[in-house]
Amino acid sequence: MHMADALLAPAVAATMYVASGSAAGVSIHQLRKDDEPGKLPTMAVTAALVFAGQMINYTIPGTGSSGHMCGGMLLSALLGPQAGFLSMIVILAIQCLFFADGGLLALGANVWNMAFYGCFVGYYLIWRPIMRSHLFGQGRGAQRGRIVLASILGCVITLQLGAFSVVLETSLSGITDLPFGAFAALMLPIHLAIGLVEGLITSAVLLFVFESRPELLQCVDVPEGEGSKRSLKAVIAVLAVVALVVGGGLSLLASSNPDGLEWALFGNSEAGYAENMGLDEEDFGVASTAADKAGQIQEATSFLPDYALPDNDSPAGTSLSGVVGSVMVAGVAVLICLAGGFFRKKRAK
Amino acid sequence: MIEFQNVSFAYDKGSPVIRDLSFRVEDGQSVGLIGANGAGKSTVMKLLLGLLTGEGKILVDGLEVRKENLFQIRRKLGFVLQNSDNQMFMPTVYEDMIFAPLNYGLSRPEAEARVDRALGLLGLEELKHRHNHKLSGGEKRMAAIATILAMEPEAILMDEPTAALDPYNRRIVINIIRGLSQTKIITSHDLDMILDTCDRVILLSHGELVADGPADAILRDKALLERNRMELPLRFSGK
Amino acid sequence: MNKMETALHELSQMDELAAQSSPIHRLHPAAKLLTTIVYIVLTVSFPKYALSGLIPMVLWPVLLFQISAIPVRTCFYKLRIVLPLVMAVGLFNPFFDRAPLLSLGALTVSGGVVSMVTLMLKGLFCLMASFLLMATTPIDSLCSALRKLHMPGLIVTLLLLTYRYVGVMTEELAIMTDAYLLRAPGQKGIHISAWGSFLGQLLLRSMDRAQELYGSMLLRGYHEHFHYAEAGPFRLRDGLYTLGCGLVFLLLRFVPVTRLLGSLFVR
Repeated sequence: MHMADALLAPAVAATMYVASGSAAGVSIHQLRKDDEPGKLPTMAVTAALVFAGQMINYTIPGTGSSGHMCGGMLLSALLGPQAGFLSMIVILAIQCLFFADGGLLALGANVWNMAFYGCFVGYYLIWRPIMRSHLFGQGRGAQRGRIVLASILGCVITLQLGAFSVVLETSLSGITDLPFGAFAALMLPIHLAIGLVEGLITSAVLLFVFESRPELLQCVDVPEGEGSKRSLKAVIAVLAVVALVVGGGLSLLASSNPDGLEWALFGNSEAGYAENMGLDEEDFGVASTAADKAGQIQEATSFLPDYALPDNDSPAGTSLSGVVGSVMVAGVAVLICLAGGFFRKKRAK
Repeated sequence: MIEFQNVSFAYDKGSPVIRDLSFRVEDGQSVGLIGANGAGKSTVMKLLLGLLTGEGKILVDGLEVRKENLFQIRRKLGFVLQNSDNQMFMPTVYEDMIFAPLNYGLSRPEAEARVDRALGLLGLEELKHRHNHKLSGGEKRMAAIATILAMEPEAILMDEPTAALDPYNRRIVINIIRGLSQTKIITSHDLDMILDTCDRVILLSHGELVADGPADAILRDKALLERNRMELPLRFSGK
Repeated sequence: MNKMETALHELSQMDELAAQSSPIHRLHPAAKLLTTIVYIVLTVSFPKYALSGLIPMVLWPVLLFQISAIPVRTCFYKLRIVLPLVMAVGLFNPFFDRAPLLSLGALTVSGGVVSMVTLMLKGLFCLMASFLLMATTPIDSLCSALRKLHMPGLIVTLLLLTYRYVGVMTEELAIMTDAYLLRAPGQKGIHISAWGSFLGQLLLRSMDRAQELYGSMLLRGYHEHFHYAEAGPFRLRDGLYTLGCGLVFLLLRFVPVTRLLGSLFVR
């Protein structure tokens, strides 16, 4: 779900920077007030762990494909929303700086889409209320159930919010001609499936922590004694079945390529998306029937007005002189390269 | 001077890890702290550094190890961790080395001078600007020792300084340790190394002091070592 | 190589590049950061059909690649992450926007094609710019620049520490993954029975590690403030570089350079 710089207009990117920056400012303020100097190394090590953990392939039973974890919910359940949010910012920053995943300009938007919802919405509206409730009754078994429920709900809802924001930000930036409705209809269902898988992975990790060191989790009372003996496996099984039913057959669509944004747009030929959208990674844009079909889809679904074509006098306009000029610029670029190579060789001698 | 007076420690409600431990280390001594796994060696180190708090009294240069004295006491003690990755938390060796001097209030030029001095002492100048995560195991250990030397502490504590090193690097580290003039307390299972670097040995078992005396005497006592789940150093075990 | 090993390799590659020396490497990190941001913002701000206006923006990264002697290949390897995304979004444009925008003899180019190419070039240019920033600036210099630009210390310190432990954690998980797969032949990933414990085990160990790390910080006098390597003074040269680059970018952004150049030869 990492957006690239090119997908955002500067105004949208700046707005998202302000929004994410304010959330970060409030978080820093809160953490300073809490004054727990020992939290900093814990945040760093946990963030590094989540960074690496995102690369683990989790096999989804019965599908032959694999799922991944993004980690917003996990971090806020372990560190609390503020520390989790800041850790997530740092993870996204490292991904963008060293791995070109996302972009410098898009960082604000990425933080908002992936960290803000996962940490703040996920914590205050889902994790904390569920963990403090008496759902499933008392005792350890009930607590396990609440952890699973909160993880799955949290991941699904925050991923939906994130995916919706991606659609909104891209559309507001005026980058794509893909109608808003069609774009959303592509992104949301796929992220529902991804959210479910992520929720199951997150709950599995949190349950493991709960069994060994429950005091590490936020809003979890360290249980005394066993309480009601509900089998953990039963709780997971019930919830997993419910979740899978809710998600429909969508989890079956989960491909080995888990990034829904790419997946949504390139389509998955097995799943029939490629046919629907007339797109395939190998031969995109070749079939004209597909183009026709896409045009029909647009007529049927479009509710954004067509962009007016610029006339030739606008600075943006392209003309013959523009083309010739571009060729010359390319020539200059080649010259720079040749000169650079020449001087380097000279220096090497 | 480091002194333990009737120190006991237990993790909350568990059975005691350290029982009524008393000993005294004079300035300039090198003491090997040995014992089987779980004997309490690391706990002794952590108590001395104030990372854990137990019962009894621990004195460093007459100052009691208590919260209000920690800043002063820790300045005197340099601790080389077993896992260098946990010790070296900055991106480069240089930044890691300069961290402590700056925190203890030295000016940047003074701190720089200390870093260069420590690197020079160990002959590690070429490591200065290397990235920590790209050092080999041996280089990492040596850099970790340099990090502590840059603090110019009065006493150096080392937790398994030769663990997981190849024989060549192990020998280098042993020579480095032998060359340090400070008071030293070293915990290790590598008894040959203890023999090379320490003149006195304290043997712990289940948190209690079992033996305390010249290294040469204790490390030759086969019966004593075997009773405490240890073996003679290799050089004494041959015929 | 598993995924984590690839990531480690990429990380150390960036470190090696940043450790080289060139006039660009020697510039103040804050100067490089600022010019990169200005460049990206202006590049992205070109309107969607402004292909000919956008093209001259390529000159800056090309120039930097040459001066800093950073291999272009490493940068293009990273394109595999950015381009699919940008292309995926851009590829719809030729279908939805088919009004002709430009004719060159018999060839008619539609607005959608122009906007698609523009978008892809934007993606490429932005990637090159931020890649060049990181390939010529070590993370510690960047952090000290961020401090100078008044980024809160907590975030900068966290970035520095996390960066350090990303290497350590990724390596541990790489080893664990190999160990797992060696005992689970034919599996592509972690089986559901180990979903929790695989990462969970490492998580618990990491918490202990964090404690030890904190101890190590305390023992070396850590209290509230973190000390950074200083990036050196912001010199006149750095100021001139920032100002010069900024002005050139503005010029390229608002003066139709290509068309002026072209009109010298054709009308």
